[in-house]
Amino acid sequence: MPRILLVEDNEMNRDMLSRRLQRRGYTVELAVDGLDGVSRALEGGWDLVLMDMSLPEIDGWEATRRIRAGGDAGQMPIIALTAHAMSGDRDKAIEAGCNDYDTKPVDLERLLGKMTALGAPPA
Amino acid sequence: MITPLDPKAASELRHELRTPVNHILGYAEMLREDAPDGSADALCIDDIIAVAHEVLGAINAALPPTGVATLDDLSQLLTALIAPQAKMLAVTEQLLVGERDAQFATDVQRIAQAVGRLTAVPVPSALAERRDAMRTTPSAGSAAELPVPRADAKGRILIVDDVEENRAVLARRLGREGYDTASADSGEAALALVAQGAFDLVLLDVLMPGMDGFAVLERIKSDAATRSIPVIMISALDDLASVVRCIEHGAEDYLTKPFDPVLLRARIGASLEKKRWHDREADYLRQVSRVIEAASAVESGAYVAGTLAGVTGRDDELGRLARVFDAMAAGVRARESRLRAQLRELQSDVTLATNEFEALQERETADGAFPPGTVLAGRYDVVSVLGTGGMGVVYRARDRELNEDVAVKTIRRELVTSDAVLAERLKSEIRLARRISHRNVVRTHDLGDADGHLFVTMELVQGLTVRELLTTRGRLGVASTLAVARQFAEALSVAHDAGVIHRDIKPENALIDGDGVLKVMDFGIARLAEATSTRTQTGMVVGTPAYMSPEQLVGEEIDPRADLYSLGVVMYECLTGEAPFSAPSAVALIARVLTAEPTPPVSRNADVPPALSALVMRLLSKSAADRPASAAILQEQLAELG
Repeated sequence: MPRILLVEDNEMNRDMLSRRLQRRGYTVELAVDGLDGVSRALEGGWDLVLMDMSLPEIDGWEATRRIRAGGDAGQMPIIALTAHAMSGDRDKAIEAGCNDYDTKPVDLERLLGKMTALGAPPA
Repeated sequence: MITPLDPKAASELRHELRTPVNHILGYAEMLREDAPDGSADALCIDDIIAVAHEVLGAINAALPPTGVATLDDLSQLLTALIAPQAKMLAVTEQLLVGERDAQFATDVQRIAQAVGRLTAVPVPSALAERRDAMRTTPSAGSAAELPVPRADAKGRILIVDDVEENRAVLARRLGREGYDTASADSGEAALALVAQGAFDLVLLDVLMPGMDGFAVLERIKSDAATRSIPVIMISALDDLASVVRCIEHGAEDYLTKPFDPVLLRARIGASLEKKRWHDREADYLRQVSRVIEAASAVESGAYVAGTLAGVTGRDDELGRLARVFDAMAAGVRARESRLRAQLRELQSDVTLATNEFEALQERETADGAFPPGTVLAGRYDVVSVLGTGGMGVVYRARDRELNEDVAVKTIRRELVTSDAVLAERLKSEIRLARRISHRNVVRTHDLGDADGHLFVTMELVQGLTVRELLTTRGRLGVASTLAVARQFAEALSVAHDAGVIHRDIKPENALIDGDGVLKVMDFGIARLAEATSTRTQTGMVVGTPAYMSPEQLVGEEIDPRADLYSLGVVMYECLTGEAPFSAPSAVALIARVLTAEPTPPVSRNADVPPALSALVMRLLSKSAADRPASAAILQEQLAELG
């Protein structure tokens, strides 16, 4: 079962996305802010990280940079999730070290496609 | 007026507005995955998804990620959100009607909360004023808008008055007291709102142009869907006749203008409290009728597990009743499925044994007194010999009258011809046995006489005797044994109720057909053997000491519990492959039956559940008083075992 870390500060988004992913066979664990996300991510053993970009403490871009700087444990695929869909967000996310980028509202099939492409297909 | 919005403020607003839409879509899509296509839920959820996508489109158009947004764009957007918001709220309410799964209800409420947040976003102060004005001032076409429900509101109240100031005053006052309000400026607008929104109370002005308060009241009270909403009439009219008219039409209360705020508060509070009790009572009655429906479903065998979910969660007597009921129904279902499984196992034992049996040995082909082709009593054409027993030969014969095959059992001449009294007794026994009609009893048809041979015709059963099954299979599994015992007990229960004791229950006297149905045979016939046993010559084996109860062996008066002892021996043999007692001679065997304690079945076969072993031991009690008191009680005890 692919093990996913979902870093998301919004309770409803967390509840919704984690349940929808669990239904597709993922094991989903949660982090509620950027710092929490970085420390959980570096524990290792993740098949993929879904990173919200607007997070309290440190934002998703900064969290991604710190994960990437964390050595071997920080090299799992990361997909950035952002609500803004501003032009340039994508480049900014890739620059920070994300492998891919998706916008909210999450189109589950589209997101699953991206997760599959990064080696974490539904179970 | 074109006022460009600060880009950062626009971006934040965009985020604030899109977030609830994301939640609406996310939860709605998740619920949609669970709703069967075409179901009412699916249609509702599809509506929500479609409207949410429209809203998303409107937000993207008014507040594009790139480009400039203006205050007017935003103002138009917020106005444009009101209708979809009302629509989505109405649909979420529909989704919550009736008994819903707790998770489903929570998710729908989350959608409703997100819908509510759509127009609650912080907006620039210039716009906030406009929006508030828009909310309290009815627009030209439709003078009615649905309020966004407040999570902490004490209730939702609809204010119906044609005078704007009156509506505004009431709305402010009720708002301060923690109520959600909506307003309508005419009777027609009020009815439209009542139809789509779940209101807890309506404050209704009597004198209005067009449709007046009386007419609105009448319509609300004549519609089953809205009848239970309490209506408080408000009027400048103070005459007794109009008060009476309102009460007669079902109004909850009547207040005259100008009304006292304290009185208004008290009456609203009382009405809402009454409605809450009424709703609770209606809900209770609905759940009571669900329990009753479930009861009839159980009776007709159509009960579906979990039907009472929702009722079983109540912490009152009804909840307890539903839980007990649900558990009982589940127990019955589980037992039925266990019984079916036992029967299937027995059936497969029979199938296996039949194959082996036919491969290993040819049926005994004893010479009968009647070769094939003989016609007995002008009616039965002998076809073949089925077997021989202690009493005589069994033939397969064709019944010319009924044109079907039957079994014909002849009784040895020396057993009957010597005693006319005995022959009479046999006839009366068989007449009794003929009365037993049950799927677990081989049907006895007729008693006849051919050339001095007495014969009994019986239902022809294609199958193996339990003896043949045991010979081939060694012993039976617990499930098969229970299936055998249960059917034996049922047959005995019916026979005993009819006043017939079998007296010779043994593996040879029960046939199991290809469906696993066991049929006990020779009811009424064993009596003959018993009656003659004292007068026959040595060496003639009548009755079967191994299966006979102690009281039967010593010639005491017996009752139905003697059959239960014999069934205990049969069960013992099924479970262990051996009879409880064995001895080199009949006399030694009888002595052991009378005095020795059998080894419990579980000691011979560890697979036997201790409770089943104990039940067999009770059946084998030397004293009838220590056995189950009747076959019916044995049936219950077997059922408890599974």
